Amino acid sequence: MSRDNSLLIDRLVADLVPVPPLTRNGGLLRAGLAALATIASTIMVSGVRPELGAGKVGAVFLLASGLFLVLAYAAIYGVIQSSRPRVGNRQSGWLWASAMAALLPAGALVTLVLAWGGHGGAALDREGWRCLGAGLLAGLVTGAVLVVWLRRGAPTSPVRAGLMTGIASGSIGIFAFGLSCPHDSLAHIGLWHGGAVLASALLGRFVVPPLIRW
Amino acid sequence: MMADEVSLARLAGLAQQGDREAYRVLLQTCQTWLRRYFARRINPCQLDDLVQDTLLSLHRKLASYDPARAFLPWLAAIARYRWVDHLRRIYRASEVDLEAEFEAPSDEPGIAARISLERLFTYLPSSQVTAIELVKIEGLSVSEASRASGQSESLIKVNIHRGLKRLAALIQET
Repeated sequence: MSRDNSLLIDRLVADLVPVPPLTRNGGLLRAGLAALATIASTIMVSGVRPELGAGKVGAVFLLASGLFLVLAYAAIYGVIQSSRPRVGNRQSGWLWASAMAALLPAGALVTLVLAWGGHGGAALDREGWRCLGAGLLAGLVTGAVLVVWLRRGAPTSPVRAGLMTGIASGSIGIFAFGLSCPHDSLAHIGLWHGGAVLASALLGRFVVPPLIRW
Repeated sequence: MMADEVSLARLAGLAQQGDREAYRVLLQTCQTWLRRYFARRINPCQLDDLVQDTLLSLHRKLASYDPARAFLPWLAAIARYRWVDHLRRIYRASEVDLEAEFEAPSDEPGIAARISLERLFTYLPSSQVTAIELVKIEGLSVSEASRASGQSESLIKVNIHRGLKRLAALIQET
Protein backbone atom coordinates (compact mmCIF):
# COMPACT_ATOMS: atom_id res chain seq x y z
CA MET A 1 0.00 0.00 0.00
CA SER A 2 1.46 3.38 -0.94
CA ARG A 3 2.08 6.01 1.73
CA ASP A 4 -0.37 8.40 0.03
CA ASN A 5 -3.14 5.82 0.14
CA SER A 6 -2.45 5.09 3.83
CA LEU A 7 -2.72 8.78 4.65
CA LEU A 8 -5.92 9.06 2.65
CA ILE A 9 -7.44 6.05 4.40
CA ASP A 10 -6.46 7.51 7.80
CA ARG A 11 -8.18 10.77 6.87
CA LEU A 12 -11.32 9.07 5.56
CA VAL A 13 -11.56 6.91 8.68
CA ALA A 14 -11.19 10.01 10.88
CA ASP A 15 -13.95 11.75 8.84
CA LEU A 16 -16.41 8.88 9.15
CA VAL A 17 -19.82 9.75 10.54
CA PRO A 18 -22.84 7.42 10.67
CA VAL A 19 -24.92 7.65 7.49
CA PRO A 20 -28.40 6.17 7.07
CA PRO A 21 -28.47 4.04 3.92
CA LEU A 22 -30.70 5.13 1.05
CA THR A 23 -33.38 2.48 1.02
CA ARG A 24 -35.91 1.89 -1.72
CA ASN A 25 -38.83 2.31 0.67
CA GLY A 26 -37.38 5.55 2.03
CA GLY A 27 -37.16 6.95 -1.49
CA LEU A 28 -40.65 5.78 -2.44
CA LEU A 29 -42.06 7.27 0.76
CA ARG A 30 -40.53 10.69 0.10
CA ALA A 31 -41.65 10.72 -3.52
CA GLY A 32 -45.11 9.54 -2.49
CA LEU A 33 -45.43 12.34 0.06
CA ALA A 34 -44.29 14.85 -2.55
CA ALA A 35 -46.91 13.50 -4.97
CA LEU A 36 -49.64 13.73 -2.34
CA ALA A 37 -48.59 17.29 -1.50
CA THR A 38 -48.70 18.13 -5.20
CA ILE A 39 -52.18 16.68 -5.63
CA ALA A 40 -53.52 18.35 -2.48
CA SER A 41 -52.10 21.76 -3.31
CA THR A 42 -53.30 21.59 -6.93
CA ILE A 43 -56.82 20.73 -5.79
CA MET A 44 -56.73 23.57 -3.28
CA VAL A 45 -55.66 26.05 -5.95
CA SER A 46 -57.67 24.83 -8.95
CA GLY A 47 -60.47 22.74 -7.45
CA VAL A 48 -61.73 19.50 -8.97
CA ARG A 49 -63.65 19.00 -12.20
CA PRO A 50 -67.39 19.11 -11.55
CA GLU A 51 -68.19 15.62 -12.81
CA LEU A 52 -65.54 14.18 -10.49
CA GLY A 53 -67.36 15.63 -7.51
CA ALA A 54 -70.60 14.16 -8.84
CA GLY A 55 -68.99 10.76 -9.22
CA LYS A 56 -69.29 10.73 -13.04
CA VAL A 57 -66.06 10.47 -14.94
CA GLY A 58 -65.29 9.84 -18.59
CA ALA A 59 -63.48 6.77 -19.81
CA VAL A 60 -60.69 8.79 -21.46
CA PHE A 61 -60.04 10.72 -18.25
CA LEU A 62 -59.90 7.51 -16.22
CA LEU A 63 -57.64 5.77 -18.69
CA ALA A 64 -55.28 8.74 -19.03
CA SER A 65 -55.09 9.32 -15.28
CA GLY A 66 -54.28 5.67 -14.73
CA LEU A 67 -51.55 5.74 -17.38
CA PHE A 68 -49.98 8.88 -15.93
CA LEU A 69 -50.03 7.38 -12.47
CA VAL A 70 -48.41 4.12 -13.63
CA LEU A 71 -45.82 6.10 -15.59
CA ALA A 72 -45.07 8.27 -12.55
CA TYR A 73 -44.60 5.22 -10.33
CA ALA A 74 -42.35 3.46 -12.87
CA ALA A 75 -40.19 6.57 -13.34
CA ILE A 76 -39.96 7.28 -9.59
CA TYR A 77 -38.99 3.65 -8.98
CA GLY A 78 -36.32 3.96 -11.68
CA VAL A 79 -34.94 7.14 -10.10
CA ILE A 80 -34.77 5.55 -6.65
CA GLN A 81 -32.99 2.48 -8.01
CA SER A 82 -30.55 4.54 -10.05
CA SER A 83 -29.48 6.42 -6.93
CA ARG A 84 -28.18 3.12 -5.51
CA PRO A 85 -25.73 1.90 -8.12
CA ARG A 86 -24.70 -1.63 -8.83
CA VAL A 87 -23.28 -3.32 -11.89
CA GLY A 88 -26.09 -4.91 -13.89
CA ASN A 89 -28.71 -2.54 -12.43
CA ARG A 90 -30.90 -2.26 -15.51
CA GLN A 91 -34.23 -0.48 -15.33
CA SER A 92 -36.71 -0.96 -18.13
CA GLY A 93 -40.07 -0.53 -16.39
CA TRP A 94 -40.13 3.21 -17.06
CA LEU A 95 -39.50 2.59 -20.76
CA TRP A 96 -42.47 0.23 -21.06
CA ALA A 97 -44.67 2.61 -19.10
CA SER A 98 -43.53 5.48 -21.35
CA ALA A 99 -44.40 3.44 -24.42
CA MET A 100 -47.88 2.80 -23.03
CA ALA A 101 -48.42 6.45 -22.12
CA ALA A 102 -47.23 7.46 -25.61
CA LEU A 103 -50.42 5.89 -26.92
CA LEU A 104 -52.27 8.97 -25.63
CA PRO A 105 -50.50 11.56 -27.82
CA ALA A 106 -50.42 9.05 -30.68
CA GLY A 107 -54.20 8.59 -30.39
CA ALA A 108 -54.64 12.36 -30.14
CA LEU A 109 -52.68 12.93 -33.32
CA VAL A 110 -54.71 10.32 -35.19
CA THR A 111 -57.92 11.95 -33.93
CA LEU A 112 -56.73 15.38 -34.99
CA VAL A 113 -55.68 14.25 -38.44
CA LEU A 114 -58.95 12.41 -39.04
CA ALA A 115 -61.04 15.34 -37.81
CA TRP A 116 -58.98 18.08 -39.42
CA GLY A 117 -61.26 20.67 -41.02
CA GLY A 118 -64.06 19.79 -38.63
CA HIS A 119 -63.79 20.21 -34.89
CA GLY A 120 -60.28 18.77 -34.69
CA GLY A 121 -58.64 22.16 -34.41
CA ALA A 122 -60.59 22.83 -31.24
CA ALA A 123 -57.96 20.91 -29.28
CA LEU A 124 -55.37 23.50 -30.27
CA ASP A 125 -56.74 26.15 -27.94
CA ARG A 126 -55.40 28.33 -25.17
CA GLU A 127 -56.74 25.99 -22.50
CA GLY A 128 -54.18 23.50 -23.70
CA TRP A 129 -51.28 25.79 -22.98
CA ARG A 130 -52.71 26.36 -19.51
CA CYS A 131 -52.76 22.59 -18.87
CA LEU A 132 -49.22 22.21 -20.14
CA GLY A 133 -47.88 25.04 -17.98
CA ALA A 134 -49.84 24.00 -14.89
CA GLY A 135 -48.72 20.37 -15.26
CA LEU A 136 -45.09 21.44 -15.46
CA LEU A 137 -45.45 23.76 -12.49
CA ALA A 138 -47.27 21.20 -10.36
CA GLY A 139 -44.52 18.65 -11.00
CA LEU A 140 -41.79 20.85 -9.58
CA VAL A 141 -42.20 19.64 -5.99
CA THR A 142 -41.80 15.98 -6.95
CA GLY A 143 -38.91 16.89 -9.24
CA ALA A 144 -37.14 18.77 -6.46
CA VAL A 145 -37.56 15.88 -4.01
CA LEU A 146 -36.15 13.43 -6.55
CA VAL A 147 -33.18 15.67 -7.36
CA VAL A 148 -32.35 15.97 -3.65
CA TRP A 149 -32.57 12.19 -3.38
CA LEU A 150 -30.30 11.69 -6.39
CA ARG A 151 -27.76 14.12 -4.97
CA ARG A 152 -27.55 12.02 -1.82
CA GLY A 153 -27.16 8.88 -3.93
CA ALA A 154 -24.67 7.91 -6.61
CA PRO A 155 -26.40 7.83 -10.01
CA THR A 156 -23.99 6.38 -12.55
CA SER A 157 -26.10 7.48 -15.56
CA PRO A 158 -26.97 11.11 -14.79
CA VAL A 159 -28.65 11.65 -18.18
CA ARG A 160 -31.00 8.70 -17.76
CA ALA A 161 -31.67 9.66 -14.13
CA GLY A 162 -32.49 13.21 -15.27
CA LEU A 163 -34.84 11.95 -17.95
CA MET A 164 -36.65 9.68 -15.48
CA THR A 165 -36.90 12.56 -12.99
CA GLY A 166 -38.51 14.74 -15.66
CA ILE A 167 -40.98 12.02 -16.64
CA ALA A 168 -41.88 11.32 -13.00
CA SER A 169 -42.43 14.95 -12.06
CA GLY A 170 -44.33 15.72 -15.28
CA SER A 171 -46.59 12.68 -14.84
CA ILE A 172 -47.40 13.54 -11.23
CA GLY A 173 -47.93 17.19 -12.14
CA ILE A 174 -50.33 16.49 -14.99
CA PHE A 175 -52.11 13.77 -13.04
CA ALA A 176 -52.76 16.32 -10.29
CA PHE A 177 -53.84 19.07 -12.67
CA GLY A 178 -55.93 16.59 -14.66
CA LEU A 179 -58.22 16.35 -11.64
CA SER A 180 -59.11 20.00 -12.21
CA CYS A 181 -59.05 20.17 -16.01
CA PRO A 182 -62.59 20.23 -17.43
CA HIS A 183 -61.61 18.83 -20.85
CA ASP A 184 -62.21 15.18 -21.49
CA SER A 185 -61.38 14.60 -25.14
CA LEU A 186 -58.60 12.29 -26.27
CA ALA A 187 -57.23 15.07 -28.48
CA HIS A 188 -56.88 17.50 -25.57
CA ILE A 189 -55.52 14.99 -23.04
CA GLY A 190 -53.19 13.30 -25.48
CA LEU A 191 -51.82 16.50 -26.93
CA TRP A 192 -51.60 18.83 -23.94
CA HIS A 193 -51.39 16.51 -20.97
CA GLY A 194 -49.04 14.19 -22.83
CA GLY A 195 -47.15 17.28 -24.00
CA ALA A 196 -46.63 18.32 -20.36
CA VAL A 197 -44.93 15.01 -19.63
CA LEU A 198 -42.81 15.28 -22.76
CA ALA A 199 -41.77 18.85 -21.94
CA SER A 200 -40.95 17.87 -18.38
CA ALA A 201 -38.90 14.90 -19.62
CA LEU A 202 -36.88 17.19 -21.88
CA LEU A 203 -36.34 19.65 -19.04
CA GLY A 204 -35.19 16.83 -16.78
CA ARG A 205 -32.89 15.49 -19.48
CA PHE A 206 -31.03 18.78 -19.79
CA VAL A 207 -31.42 20.49 -16.40
CA VAL A 208 -30.98 17.64 -13.91
CA PRO A 209 -27.67 15.95 -14.96
CA PRO A 210 -25.42 18.89 -14.00
CA LEU A 211 -27.14 18.97 -10.60
CA ILE A 212 -26.50 15.33 -9.78
CA ARG A 213 -23.04 14.61 -11.22
CA TRP A 214 -20.53 13.56 -8.57
CA MET B 1 -6.21 -11.94 1.22
CA MET B 2 -9.47 -10.59 -0.17
CA ALA B 3 -12.45 -10.67 2.17
CA ASP B 4 -15.51 -12.51 0.95
CA GLU B 5 -18.71 -10.84 -0.21
CA VAL B 6 -20.59 -11.46 3.04
CA SER B 7 -17.77 -9.96 5.15
CA LEU B 8 -17.54 -6.91 2.90
CA ALA B 9 -21.29 -6.32 3.10
CA ARG B 10 -21.11 -6.63 6.90
CA LEU B 11 -18.14 -4.23 7.09
CA ALA B 12 -19.92 -1.69 4.89
CA GLY B 13 -23.04 -1.95 7.04
CA LEU B 14 -20.93 -1.35 10.19
CA ALA B 15 -19.17 1.57 8.49
CA GLN B 16 -22.55 3.17 7.77
CA GLN B 17 -23.22 2.97 11.50
CA GLY B 18 -19.94 4.78 12.21
CA ASP B 19 -17.65 1.84 13.11
CA ARG B 20 -14.19 3.18 12.26
CA GLU B 21 -12.27 -0.06 12.62
CA ALA B 22 -14.63 -1.82 10.24
CA TYR B 23 -14.33 1.11 7.87
CA ARG B 24 -10.53 0.97 7.90
CA VAL B 25 -10.57 -2.73 7.01
CA LEU B 26 -13.17 -2.06 4.33
CA LEU B 27 -11.15 0.74 2.72
CA GLN B 28 -7.95 -1.31 2.76
CA THR B 29 -9.71 -4.25 1.14
CA CYS B 30 -11.38 -1.97 -1.41
CA GLN B 31 -8.04 -0.40 -2.22
CA THR B 32 -6.58 -3.80 -3.10
CA TRP B 33 -9.65 -4.69 -5.15
CA LEU B 34 -9.58 -1.34 -6.99
CA ARG B 35 -5.89 -1.63 -7.84
CA ARG B 36 -6.63 -4.96 -9.49
CA TYR B 37 -9.74 -3.60 -11.22
CA PHE B 38 -7.97 -0.58 -12.71
CA ALA B 39 -4.63 -2.28 -13.40
CA ARG B 40 -5.65 -3.52 -16.85
CA ARG B 41 -7.64 -0.42 -17.70
CA ILE B 42 -5.34 2.59 -17.30
CA ASN B 43 -1.80 3.80 -17.45
CA PRO B 44 0.10 2.42 -14.40
CA CYS B 45 1.35 5.90 -13.49
CA GLN B 46 -2.27 7.06 -13.10
CA LEU B 47 -3.33 4.07 -11.01
CA ASP B 48 -2.81 5.64 -7.58
CA ASP B 49 -4.72 8.80 -8.51
CA LEU B 50 -7.69 6.85 -9.80
CA VAL B 51 -7.73 4.52 -6.77
CA GLN B 52 -7.67 7.55 -4.46
CA ASP B 53 -10.43 9.30 -6.42
CA THR B 54 -12.56 6.18 -6.16
CA LEU B 55 -11.93 5.79 -2.42
CA LEU B 56 -13.02 9.40 -1.96
CA SER B 57 -16.19 8.71 -3.98
CA LEU B 58 -16.83 5.61 -1.88
CA HIS B 59 -16.53 7.78 1.24
CA ARG B 60 -18.86 10.50 -0.07
CA LYS B 61 -21.43 8.04 -1.41
CA LEU B 62 -21.37 5.46 1.37
CA ALA B 63 -25.07 6.10 2.02
CA SER B 64 -25.94 4.83 -1.45
CA TYR B 65 -24.92 1.29 -0.47
CA ASP B 66 -27.84 -0.85 0.66
CA PRO B 67 -26.59 -3.39 3.26
CA ALA B 68 -29.31 -5.78 2.13
CA ARG B 69 -27.59 -6.11 -1.27
CA ALA B 70 -24.21 -7.44 -2.38
CA PHE B 71 -21.26 -5.09 -1.85
CA LEU B 72 -18.95 -5.78 -4.80
CA PRO B 73 -21.48 -4.90 -7.56
CA TRP B 74 -21.91 -1.54 -5.78
CA LEU B 75 -18.16 -0.99 -5.56
CA ALA B 76 -17.76 -2.02 -9.21
CA ALA B 77 -20.41 0.51 -10.27
CA ILE B 78 -18.63 3.30 -8.33
CA ALA B 79 -15.28 2.25 -9.82
CA ARG B 80 -16.65 2.13 -13.37
CA TYR B 81 -18.18 5.58 -13.00
CA ARG B 82 -14.84 7.02 -11.89
CA TRP B 83 -13.05 5.16 -14.69
CA VAL B 84 -15.43 6.55 -17.33
CA ASP B 85 -14.94 10.01 -15.86
CA HIS B 86 -11.17 9.49 -16.08
CA LEU B 87 -11.45 8.40 -19.72
CA ARG B 88 -13.61 11.41 -20.51
CA ARG B 89 -10.93 13.70 -19.12
CA ILE B 90 -8.33 11.91 -21.26
CA TYR B 91 -10.62 12.22 -24.27
CA ARG B 92 -11.13 15.94 -23.69
CA ALA B 93 -7.40 16.46 -23.22
CA SER B 94 -6.60 14.53 -26.39
CA GLU B 95 -9.27 16.46 -28.26
CA VAL B 96 -7.56 19.70 -27.28
CA ASP B 97 -4.19 18.20 -28.29
CA LEU B 98 -5.60 17.12 -31.62
CA GLU B 99 -7.06 20.55 -32.32
CA ALA B 100 -3.65 22.05 -31.65
CA GLU B 101 -2.03 19.49 -33.95
CA PHE B 102 -4.48 20.34 -36.73
CA GLU B 103 -3.44 23.98 -36.47
CA ALA B 104 0.31 23.39 -36.20
CA PRO B 105 1.72 19.90 -36.86
CA SER B 106 4.05 18.80 -34.10
CA ASP B 107 6.55 15.97 -33.71
CA GLU B 108 5.97 15.84 -29.97
CA PRO B 109 5.15 12.29 -28.86
CA GLY B 110 1.43 11.90 -28.19
CA ILE B 111 1.60 9.68 -25.15
CA ALA B 112 -1.51 10.82 -23.31
CA ALA B 113 -2.62 7.57 -21.81
CA ARG B 114 -2.09 3.88 -22.02
CA ILE B 115 -5.56 2.48 -22.01
CA SER B 116 -5.95 -1.24 -22.27
CA LEU B 117 -9.32 -1.74 -23.87
CA GLU B 118 -8.89 -4.87 -25.90
CA ARG B 119 -12.46 -6.00 -25.42
CA LEU B 120 -13.90 -2.66 -26.48
CA PHE B 121 -11.53 -2.48 -29.43
CA THR B 122 -13.55 -5.25 -31.06
CA TYR B 123 -16.35 -2.71 -31.59
CA LEU B 124 -14.13 -0.30 -33.52
CA PRO B 125 -12.95 -0.42 -37.15
CA SER B 126 -9.40 -1.74 -37.45
CA SER B 127 -8.09 1.59 -38.75
CA GLN B 128 -9.25 3.37 -35.58
CA VAL B 129 -7.83 0.63 -33.34
CA THR B 130 -4.48 0.86 -35.13
CA ALA B 131 -4.35 4.64 -34.76
CA ILE B 132 -5.21 4.55 -31.04
CA GLU B 133 -2.79 1.71 -30.32
CA LEU B 134 0.13 3.33 -32.14
CA VAL B 135 -0.29 6.86 -30.77
CA LYS B 136 -2.08 6.54 -27.44
CA ILE B 137 -0.68 3.22 -26.22
CA GLU B 138 2.70 2.70 -27.90
CA GLY B 139 3.45 6.41 -27.77
CA LEU B 140 4.42 7.01 -31.42
CA SER B 141 4.03 10.48 -32.86
CA VAL B 142 1.33 11.05 -35.44
CA SER B 143 3.89 11.07 -38.26
CA GLU B 144 5.54 7.86 -37.00
CA ALA B 145 2.12 6.21 -36.69
CA SER B 146 1.35 7.39 -40.20
CA ARG B 147 4.48 5.72 -41.59
CA ALA B 148 3.91 2.54 -39.57
CA SER B 149 0.27 2.12 -40.56
CA GLY B 150 0.19 3.51 -44.07
CA GLN B 151 -2.58 5.95 -43.09
CA SER B 152 -2.14 9.65 -43.76
CA GLU B 153 -1.39 11.90 -40.76
CA SER B 154 -4.79 13.55 -41.05
CA LEU B 155 -6.47 10.16 -41.13
CA ILE B 156 -4.56 9.08 -38.02
CA LYS B 157 -5.83 12.15 -36.15
CA VAL B 158 -9.38 11.66 -37.35
CA ASN B 159 -9.32 7.95 -36.46
CA ILE B 160 -8.02 8.68 -32.94
CA HIS B 161 -10.66 11.34 -32.45
CA ARG B 162 -13.53 9.15 -33.65
CA GLY B 163 -12.24 6.02 -31.94
CA LEU B 164 -11.88 7.64 -28.50
CA LYS B 165 -15.28 9.23 -28.82
CA ARG B 166 -16.84 5.89 -29.70
CA LEU B 167 -14.99 4.17 -26.84
CA ALA B 168 -16.30 6.69 -24.32
CA ALA B 169 -19.84 6.08 -25.61
CA LEU B 170 -19.38 2.30 -25.49
CA ILE B 171 -18.12 2.40 -21.92
CA GLN B 172 -21.10 4.43 -20.81
CA GLU B 173 -23.46 2.00 -22.53
CA THR B 174 -22.02 -1.08 -20.80
